[in-house]
Amino acid sequence: MTPLNRFEIHQPATITEASRMLLEHGEEGGCYAGGTELLLALRHRALQYQHLVDIKVIPGLNSIQAANDWIDIGAACTHRDIERSPLIREKLPVVAEMESHVANVRVRASGTIGGNLCFAEPHSDPATLLLALEAVVRTEGESGARELRVDELINGAYSNSLEPGELLTSIHIPVLLPVQRAAYVKYQIRERPALGLAVVLDTPDGGATISQARIAIGCLCPFPRRSAAAEEMLRGSREEVEALIPQAAEVLADDAELIDDNEGAADYKRHLLGVFLRRAVARALDGA
Amino acid sequence: MKRPGDFRIVNHSVPRADGVAKVTGRAMYTSDIELDGMTWAKVLRSPFAHARIVSIDTAAARQSPGVLDVITGTDLASLRPYYGHAVKDHPILAIDKVRFIGEPVAAVVAEDDLSAEEALQLIEVEYEELPSVMEVDASLAPEAPLIHDEAYTEGAFRGFKDGRQASGNVCQYVKVKWGDAAAAFASAAHVVENEFHFPMAYAYAMEAYVAIADYSKKGLTVYSSAQHPFMVRHDLADIFDLPLNAVRMIIPYVGGGYGSKSYTKIEPIAAVCSWRTGRPVKLRLSIDEAFLTTRGDDARVRIRTACDAEGKFLARQATIHLNTGAYAENSPLVCAKAANRIIGPYLIPNVDIDCYAVYTNTVPASSYRGFGSTQVTFPAESQNEELADLIGVDPFEFRMRNLAQRGEVIYPGLRPIDADVPGDLRQIESKFEEWGAVQEGRGRAVGCSASDAGSHPVTSAMIHVYSDGSVSVLSGATEIGQGSHTVLAQIAAEEMGVPMSKVRVVGGDTAITPFERSTGASRTTTLMGRAVLEACREAIAQLMSFAAEALGVAQSALIEECGGVRHGDTQWSWGEVIEKHFKHKDTSIIGRAYLRQTGDLKLMPPFWEIGVVGTEISVDQETGKIRLERLMTVGDVGLAINPAAAEGQDLGAATMGIGVGLFEELIYDGQQLTNGSLLEYRVPRFSDLAPDIHMTLAQNQDGSGPYGAKGGGEGSLNPIPACLANALYRATGARVRRLPLTPERVWRALQERPKV
Ligand SMILES: Cc1cc2nc3c(=O)[nH]c(=O)nc-3n(C[C@H](O)[C@H](O)[C@H](O)COP(=O)(O)OP(=O)(O)OC[C@H]3O[C@@H](n4cnc5c(N)ncnc54)[C@H](O)[C@@H]3O)c2cc1C
Repeated sequence: MTPLNRFEIHQPATITEASRMLLEHGEEGGCYAGGTELLLALRHRALQYQHLVDIKVIPGLNSIQAANDWIDIGAACTHRDIERSPLIREKLPVVAEMESHVANVRVRASGTIGGNLCFAEPHSDPATLLLALEAVVRTEGESGARELRVDELINGAYSNSLEPGELLTSIHIPVLLPVQRAAYVKYQIRERPALGLAVVLDTPDGGATISQARIAIGCLCPFPRRSAAAEEMLRGSREEVEALIPQAAEVLADDAELIDDNEGAADYKRHLLGVFLRRAVARALDGA
Repeated sequence: MKRPGDFRIVNHSVPRADGVAKVTGRAMYTSDIELDGMTWAKVLRSPFAHARIVSIDTAAARQSPGVLDVITGTDLASLRPYYGHAVKDHPILAIDKVRFIGEPVAAVVAEDDLSAEEALQLIEVEYEELPSVMEVDASLAPEAPLIHDEAYTEGAFRGFKDGRQASGNVCQYVKVKWGDAAAAFASAAHVVENEFHFPMAYAYAMEAYVAIADYSKKGLTVYSSAQHPFMVRHDLADIFDLPLNAVRMIIPYVGGGYGSKSYTKIEPIAAVCSWRTGRPVKLRLSIDEAFLTTRGDDARVRIRTACDAEGKFLARQATIHLNTGAYAENSPLVCAKAANRIIGPYLIPNVDIDCYAVYTNTVPASSYRGFGSTQVTFPAESQNEELADLIGVDPFEFRMRNLAQRGEVIYPGLRPIDADVPGDLRQIESKFEEWGAVQEGRGRAVGCSASDAGSHPVTSAMIHVYSDGSVSVLSGATEIGQGSHTVLAQIAAEEMGVPMSKVRVVGGDTAITPFERSTGASRTTTLMGRAVLEACREAIAQLMSFAAEALGVAQSALIEECGGVRHGDTQWSWGEVIEKHFKHKDTSIIGRAYLRQTGDLKLMPPFWEIGVVGTEISVDQETGKIRLERLMTVGDVGLAINPAAAEGQDLGAATMGIGVGLFEELIYDGQQLTNGSLLEYRVPRFSDLAPDIHMTLAQNQDGSGPYGAKGGGEGSLNPIPACLANALYRATGARVRRLPLTPERVWRALQERPKV
């Protein structure tokens, strides 16, 4: 086994202290949450931190809170915390369901949602669903707190828009309105998903018509994205929407800049987008 | 011969001797061992597929804290730095040039692994890149660069057939021919011809390679995860020119092999590190490095089969190209096996097979569970099914018309078939009947294979029988997870008439255990099991004469009983006989047995390993994803010494077949291996197992092993990929001739299907 390089662990008591530590160590330091990505990257010398700031010891960073119309998930919550949270299961079952299929139980037990989003690995399940749910991520740093959309936080493959010393602190998710139905579907052969697709559909009449649609795709593109043009196509009666699914999928595929790689050739991924868009809409509307 | 029902311990699923230690984490593996003064080695690997080494600057690495030595190929001139049991083409560390990305170029020895790793980063190597060949066709092209320009010597155990037939980049060539195939094809009623591709696969084992070497004036001791300690001993003795008794291989528990741990791997590197530093050295690879150490041969098979109007085979012709990678390793053997295992358990009167193992600038290929059979059963059984369809005969019926009956010879000069293969197939057939009609969208298929298994029958065993009635079995076979230590103890307990708790298997130490050629080719139960049985019988023969002497009667007056001897009212256990013989407590006697290629083991192979499986799959026609719904295996093992262990082997083997059948494939993009890690290389998971699994054992006591036992453990892998492909055809009408059957590949085949 390749040994890790030498490093020092720092355990801050507050977010402010964590932020200060990160600033102090600059390029040589980084946040350490569950370590599931970090340790692999350090082992492969893709990251070369000499100082790890262990943020999961910060009190409160792993709390889950809810009000009537939103849920707040602390950045240091593990996938397992979220999957098993009664609050989330009740108020946002689509999130709990998605989380229960992230990675494997070992990764879910230590990997955090914050680490998932900040690492911006292209094959993220949460990022795609959170984008469709119009979640907002909250950050804190030297220059104060910010709120960002998921596609503002993740601005490229393995790239985020956090400033030096800035931490992701929580994810704020509006709960679905009574007229909204959501579904997340994914396609996976290997260790990480090859395609993730989330839909949030507004249907005032129990599924007969769709007044508004949000669609987010991930994994087959460098970072998750939505397409206004495709969303526009999924408005109308259910029949109309279903008839336009293939075209909407084409639009999504055009947007995704699909490439041939070990996960499949671009034409296959294009085809899969059609299959899974249909399955996602059906699951959202029929719960199947 | 004892029959099932007559046994006390054999043929019972007794608990594994190593089970508790393994599941509680107390079992010792090489990784767990720490020697006094032990240091660590790390290996610098080549970033080029083919390059000349211009210079290596180790000065900075030597200055790095904790570093004891930095060793490169040029430091090995006083040794015999090339090894290989088949072809001595493998340098311990690259000499003058590198032949694949990942080849060891230098080793750092340091006080701890991190210091070694840090120093690696300070070694400067200057390379001059050479043109590389990554695939068989490129390697065989007339203008292809030569990967090995030196004339290597043959290894001691299986060299170039008839001298180096091999020329250019051909590592080994094997021809199998009988009858007149050309004439048979010319007049055949039906002929099918196709090309098939078997992927480059990695025999993933949970434990990566690890070795600890301790070289001193007294000799060399190596702890290792090796599967064939005596073969590794040979290479090490040769490298250092040491007598056999000065090289001691100790093999603790091994965390799986599946072919990847056979023959010499990293032991020579650890050994030269210790030789240079005079300190014990541990070298432990990561799984990512294991991916760069060995793999299975990928194969392209052009195959043509003819049958008559009744569906009887007339001829088979095939040209097999194996991509053997940068070094021969065990591929000359895989080459020979692929050439003859493409026949299957069938009678084919005219055969003409050419098999080439071809060097390329990729990770060296070696043994992979099934040894060549996996690669060729896929084309053979796919094509058999195509022929059956062509003439409109049911797949079972087609096979029945062609299967060899017990005692028939499928391969001239080899042992006649020692199994009832048609009977095995009938078991699958009746299970299929029980399952009823196949649901829409699903497909069902049967498949079979025959492998000349067992390898050279050169096996010795020794037992100590103690005066307190306990027994030790000294066996050179490696407990690699297959359960051999349990099975061998069962045989000794059965023969010596003692409970399992009184038997201990001492294994894995070449200074203590007698010679065993290898732990592979499914041989251990058959050959080591038989040697243990014979050693017990030899001990009992001595004990009978000792008892006669002690009683002052003729041996013929004694009655041998379970666990001892009786004469009139006098009843002595074997322990009592020993104590009376020596008139001393705590004494013991030695029973021994040697197996050679003589008597009933004269004809090769020692036994045929039969694989007979049935599968049912469902297919997501939109994504192309296949799911195995039902699996049945028939383990034709003669007699299962431990039925649960035998079934475990069948399930494991079949699961490996699911891996290579559905997902496993090492992918090169140009010179670079793109998925050499477990995150990228998909091995089977529990969730991939069929929800409905039936494992049966055929126990006809028709093998050359103890009580008529024969080996298992590979058979149930070999036909699985073909079975999946044939089931896919049944389900969808799509025929895929390239493994693995990835969803994308299946989806494309579904698109290209002739429209009905
Ligand atoms: C085998 C495997 C399979 C996986 N499969 C899936 C899958 O199917 N679907 C999926 O979505 N994901 C998958 N993942 C990714 C997994 O979800 C992430 O590894 C995990 O969530 C990362 O969290 P962590 O706490 O371990 O992050 P760490 O490894 O600790 O950190 C990751 C990165 O984020 C930074 N970071 C962490 N927290 C913060 C913060 N609060 N603020 C700022 N920066 C921060 C770290 O500095 C580091 O650069 C898989 C991972 C593995 C190893």
